Amino acid sequence: MKKLLLIILLFLTNFLVKADLIDQAVPFCPAKMNGTTQNIDFNSYKGKVVLIDFWATWCPPCKQSMPFLNALRNELLTQGFEIIAINVDEDKQQALRFLQSYPVDYQVVYDETGECPQRFEVEAMPSSYFVDRKGQIRSIHLGYRSSDQQYIREKITKLLSEK
Amino acid sequence: MNILYFRSFIVFLFFSLQGCSVAPWERGNLAKKNMAITVNSGLSALRDHAFTSKEASQGGYGGAGGGCGCN
Repeated sequence: MKKLLLIILLFLTNFLVKADLIDQAVPFCPAKMNGTTQNIDFNSYKGKVVLIDFWATWCPPCKQSMPFLNALRNELLTQGFEIIAINVDEDKQQALRFLQSYPVDYQVVYDETGECPQRFEVEAMPSSYFVDRKGQIRSIHLGYRSSDQQYIREKITKLLSEK
Repeated sequence: MNILYFRSFIVFLFFSLQGCSVAPWERGNLAKKNMAITVNSGLSALRDHAFTSKEASQGGYGGAGGGCGCN
């Protein structure tokens, strides 16, 4: 009986250590803007619908998603939509080189330490966090395929319609 | 009693190994082309085809991909 209890407990700990981020405020994260030592301040985006996107240059679907995200951001910018892309390349220069060839209009911040994805409990690359106007994470989207575009657009539009 | 503790310890060790995985954001090196099981996927496909024809069995070569774990 004791043995059984121990095994059940071991299984449970795997689930218990994982806190649920849904409906929680965006966690603090030491991602920095290029050329500064200043951390990104998610609070300054309150009142806007924000998509926080984790990406890296070695991740093909991440790069594939960027033209779509950029176009969506520019289309919905006036309605209060913004994208913050957190780059998790171990060498920031790789990201900077990539962005020189394929620039985006939204804010890109860099975290070479891996602390941000840890705090956001990133499970796949890319990962998109949909944040409402109150600054709460409402849903998380893992991965990217071109067939996801409709889903992402609908999610954003729904959050934008909330006051 | 000692056997019970020993078995529990083995079970604990087994579950502890779940932490021995590469985090999704740390797979930059794994995603490199030279980390693939088959570096040249075209050549592997050709060899696989030749092997299949000669041996009338399917080869055990891996597919293309860098193993970055991207969706």
